[in-house]
Amino acid sequence: MTKYWKSIDSKIGQDKDKVQEKKITWTNRRNFLKLFGFGLASTFVLSRCENAAHKAIPYLIKPEEITPSMANYYASSFFDGDKYNSILVKVLDGRPIKIEGNNLSSISQGATNSITQSSILSLYDDTRYRKPKVNGEDSDWGTIDIEIIDQLKKIKEENGKIAIISHSNISPSTKKIIADFKKQYPTTEHIIYDPISISGLLDANKESFGKRLIPNYKFEKAQVIVGINADFLGTWLSPVEYTKQYVQNRKVSEDKKTMSRHIQIESGMSLTGSNADKRIIINPSEEQNLIANLYNYIANSLGKKEISASKCAIDVSKLGEELLKNKNKSLVVCGTNNKKSQLLVNSINQLLENYGKTISLNNALLTKQGNDKDMIDFMSNLKSYKGIVFFDCNPVYDYPNSEKLTTSIKNTDLTISLSTIPDETSELVKYVCPANNYLESWNDFNPKEGTYSLAQPCIQEIFDTRQEQVSLLKWSGIKNDYLEYIKENWKSEIYPKTNRVFDFGDFWTKSLQDGVVEIDVKSSEPKFKNNLSSIKLDDNKKSDLELQIYESVNIGSGKYANNPWLQELPDPVSKVTWDNYAAISVAFAKDKNLETGDVIKINNTIEIPVLVQPGQAKNTISIALGYGRTVVGKSGKDIGTDVYQLIETKEFRQYSLGKISFEKTLNTHELATTQSHDSMEGRDIVRETTIDKYKENTESGNERHKEIEKHHQSLYKEFKYEGHHWAMAVDLNACTGCNTCVAACSIENNVPIVGKEEVLRAHEMHWMRIDRYYAGDPENPEVVRQPVMCQHCDSAPCENVCPVGATNHSSEGINQMAYNRCIGTRYCNNNCPYKVRRFNWFDYNKSDALKGNLYDPHGMTLDLPRMVLNPDVTVRAKGVIEKCSFCIQRIQEKKLKAKLENRALQDGEIKPACQQTCPANAIVFGDLNDKNSEVSKLYEQKRRYHLLEELHTLPSIGYLTKVRNKS
Amino acid sequence: MKRSLKTISKLILILSIFAIILPIKNFASDDINIENHDKHNSSDLKMGERLFFGLILTGDNTINCASCHNTAVVDTFNWNPSVLELAFSTQYMDSAAFANALLNPVTNRISVAHENVKLNAEQIVLIRNYIETYKTKGLDKPKILVTKLVIFIFLVVLFLTAFIDLTFTKKIKFKAIHGIVIFLALAFILKMIVHSAIGLGRSEGYAPLQPIKFSHQVHATDNKIDCIYCHHTAENAKSAGIPSTNVCLNCHELVREGTNSGRFEIKKILANTENKTAPEWIRIHKLPDHVFFSHAQHAGVGKLDCKECHGLIEEEHLASQYADLSMGWCLDCHRTRKVNFPGNEYYEKTFEEYHNQFKNKTLDSLTVAQVGGENCMKCHY
Repeated sequence: MTKYWKSIDSKIGQDKDKVQEKKITWTNRRNFLKLFGFGLASTFVLSRCENAAHKAIPYLIKPEEITPSMANYYASSFFDGDKYNSILVKVLDGRPIKIEGNNLSSISQGATNSITQSSILSLYDDTRYRKPKVNGEDSDWGTIDIEIIDQLKKIKEENGKIAIISHSNISPSTKKIIADFKKQYPTTEHIIYDPISISGLLDANKESFGKRLIPNYKFEKAQVIVGINADFLGTWLSPVEYTKQYVQNRKVSEDKKTMSRHIQIESGMSLTGSNADKRIIINPSEEQNLIANLYNYIANSLGKKEISASKCAIDVSKLGEELLKNKNKSLVVCGTNNKKSQLLVNSINQLLENYGKTISLNNALLTKQGNDKDMIDFMSNLKSYKGIVFFDCNPVYDYPNSEKLTTSIKNTDLTISLSTIPDETSELVKYVCPANNYLESWNDFNPKEGTYSLAQPCIQEIFDTRQEQVSLLKWSGIKNDYLEYIKENWKSEIYPKTNRVFDFGDFWTKSLQDGVVEIDVKSSEPKFKNNLSSIKLDDNKKSDLELQIYESVNIGSGKYANNPWLQELPDPVSKVTWDNYAAISVAFAKDKNLETGDVIKINNTIEIPVLVQPGQAKNTISIALGYGRTVVGKSGKDIGTDVYQLIETKEFRQYSLGKISFEKTLNTHELATTQSHDSMEGRDIVRETTIDKYKENTESGNERHKEIEKHHQSLYKEFKYEGHHWAMAVDLNACTGCNTCVAACSIENNVPIVGKEEVLRAHEMHWMRIDRYYAGDPENPEVVRQPVMCQHCDSAPCENVCPVGATNHSSEGINQMAYNRCIGTRYCNNNCPYKVRRFNWFDYNKSDALKGNLYDPHGMTLDLPRMVLNPDVTVRAKGVIEKCSFCIQRIQEKKLKAKLENRALQDGEIKPACQQTCPANAIVFGDLNDKNSEVSKLYEQKRRYHLLEELHTLPSIGYLTKVRNKS
Repeated sequence: MKRSLKTISKLILILSIFAIILPIKNFASDDINIENHDKHNSSDLKMGERLFFGLILTGDNTINCASCHNTAVVDTFNWNPSVLELAFSTQYMDSAAFANALLNPVTNRISVAHENVKLNAEQIVLIRNYIETYKTKGLDKPKILVTKLVIFIFLVVLFLTAFIDLTFTKKIKFKAIHGIVIFLALAFILKMIVHSAIGLGRSEGYAPLQPIKFSHQVHATDNKIDCIYCHHTAENAKSAGIPSTNVCLNCHELVREGTNSGRFEIKKILANTENKTAPEWIRIHKLPDHVFFSHAQHAGVGKLDCKECHGLIEEEHLASQYADLSMGWCLDCHRTRKVNFPGNEYYEKTFEEYHNQFKNKTLDSLTVAQVGGENCMKCHY
């Protein structure tokens, strides 16, 4: 009989059933028995075979400093044209496998950010250029050099102009090389631009102080911090350094019951804003007027002259009052690329006498030097250039209105790209002279006045590449190699500035070992010569819908878009992975009937899914930069939407648009979030208090802890730890939620990438996560964050249910997991109240013998990316559970070291990856049996509580309550 | 059920047949190979072969080449270079130099061995031509031992016959016989499978031939070189370290001739240094990837003697794996071995209670297991 179908849906449903039926038949009883029999027989036959012979190849001549199987650390520097970090590179058996912050540097202070952490994978990027290319065809260095030098000479004879385009360049030796290049080819211009420009700030400082610089902010000295659209904990200028400073005055303890107050004025919910004590939500168009009003209020109170500004909708008197109360102990920062706003902010800081106290103009930060005007001039005179050299930059992607540049590149005689990896610009140029990865290169940096650092190669060039500087040297006809060049430059320029205790040879060796040289720059603060009397504010009108374009914490400017570690790292605020989105407010979503995942069209040009973001300004949409790359490896290609092209270029590049149109489309696009539930459901998962209450009673907000402890009793025998009892304390007041710990944990422990599809199924593998909860008004909520990893419970629910004893308790208090014993019942996962166990649904690491199990959407198991794996941590096969191990490999390593050196372990010697890289010092690991350890002291704090402690799981992770400075 | 059992038995049968056919096929193809290489002047090569194996009388016929130089892969240790090694090491010599090396050797060792060799120039050329053929065909393959496999197949056949007779042919009326046969055959089959499965990946006694005939006995026993001299990272690094060639050269810069192998083996190290290639040793001890093992912990902290795990390797010409390196073997030791507690400040300060008991003489020893040696994450992470 013919089968009729009721509707198109049920028809599709039937077909689907058929497909599933087929799948089911695959393992019926008979097939199972066949496989079983085959398995037995093949085991027997296999066991008769001899094991495959493995080779053991020693060194021919063993280098003195290398011991096979033991790691070495080399000091180096990370600078991607945007952010600087002094780093230590862990090199094991010739492979760099991990990056840590350099604790000798006052900028990184032992910490890193997530981009620096993950940048190590870019070294092993399979899509890197392997050879120089001419017009897309493979070539060799000999030919390409001859051709380029010929053309350069020809241009020189014809007196044509040559442009070197680069991001900010903080390498003294590279600067000198470019100067040498200019000497050889005098028509050369060096044009610097930053994808995320702060030209306005630099120009304002030039007007105020006569120097185009970024001052040295000192967040630790400020009692009141006002951030205006400046995400200084996440992306702005030097976030690691600022976070280190910021938390110094945010942490409270029984001995220090004061903390700074942080007010953030912004449009979109940023990482910094979500940590603020108070958030004032404005539209981008209101910003300058608000600053002017704030200035007027302060000037008025101090009896200074006001400027003309219309009254703003937001009352600034309270804010002004607070700032005035904390004169010379306050700090106002603004992240907008607008000279007038920055001038106003400078004047506010001047009125508050902050210069010399919380802001210093000595030791200025040099990491961003781009001048918008230069680039605007270049873009308008494109035709006059006969040769363009793209020095490790990608303006076709990250500069607005780049169609002009695209056509001009095609028409220019000589175009050269010095990029390491194929990108939108290098694809168009004639000559690609691939540069080394920074871990294969020598370099020097000058990130701050008086601070110099070196970068040294940690591995030989993997491919036939050559570092940018060597190419320029060659084309300038200088025979010197770059290392010698740096040495000579340091000898003549930097060494004389030091106290010269050592001779140059020793100075060089020490600098190379330390990675940094910090020289005190003592000069008086420059005179402030701001004159606001003639300032005329921009005519910004508030419109129905505005757009704010921001830098995302994980992806940054988009240079590392092909890094799957960064793509899979959840956004610190929205927890979205593998996408950017248009953040809209709850009220706006209600008005326009939008839901998370609906695709909208902005200005009729770009289509992008929306995300309903609590705390978003009502009439403003925020979108992150760095997505929508078109020429990039698999992991970054067509992920998200490119919004660089929406940026308007007037006097400065403007990262906000005053008026945009929007239109709802019928499409939807699913966003992969790692946390879809934002409520604590009435439980006190995160406990918080205010500083005033804390001053009265250190137990405030944590009263339940005592009560619950009273009820503790157990049927199980209590564990007794003879030697160590490892534990961790997490200070919720310090944690900013920047995600660096998650990245570091994944890299240290070989945590696999699962890809967007699997994140959508909630199968992400990160061993630790940072939970984010909202409280209060959805239009302006309070945000709390909580890093959650395995709690290493003394009375662990997971241990009791494992049928094979694959997870059990160690004699040092660690909830241990034996992967090769696990049979994948997932009972432990079910019984864990914290949901920190992760199941390998597929073979993500190519560790199974069976090929069909492999699931590797981002090529992480190819030979090259595999080199990044940490050999001291097993890669897990399909069907086993994994979870945080307290970085057991580090514990064992340090224990062994202590035993060998015949001494007790020092407190703080063992640092798990998350603690080591945390810029906020929020995580402390140690031994509870050592009563003097830092973790024991934190455990004695009245703020300490445990997650879901009423369940009597007795976790080894203690949380310290969050304290807000509310008034 | 019946059908499924049949499929299993069919599968096992097919597999067994396959396993038998496979090696036979290999031998067959080898024969063809030899014939192919024989195409130039096969009678001369035959003569060379006869001379090499001593089938043609020369001198007093007390010696032939094959008695010292292997022509097949063997798993016993032979100091003398195999025919393949000879072929390669003499490939750039002319006939006169070859004859000279054979009859008037420089080293003492060869002079003694070749004392009674009486060959004329023509015969030497024939032998040489024969040796050359090994360069292309390689050493002869060893015969595969099939006894265990034969027993296994026999048991399977026995089981199947009994089963078939029980269900279909019914020739034997007394059913208890079927029962006993099936039970015994199955039990033995299972026992063999279980044993083989346990042994899978374990290689106790594994002693592969190495590219250089390095003898631990000559170095460690005869010449009394300490283990740590070559394996110098054993006490403070994860791996004991295979000595790099420059360590060999510390002595062999001067010592160019050995008592057992003459100059032949030592020359290989010098060649390595010249060609800038490291010797490619065959790895003997290999733990699975999910096991972390550190020599520093055992030899450095635990002060274990090398022979506890490596046996009397210093008395072996051919290094072999002494222990089975199974988890049971590790744990047996962890449960009984006494920790070097007194004197190591790490233990004394970390385990204060035990330390006091040691001081009060209420405790005289602690096993590794008592200080965490049984934790999974001691070795697995």
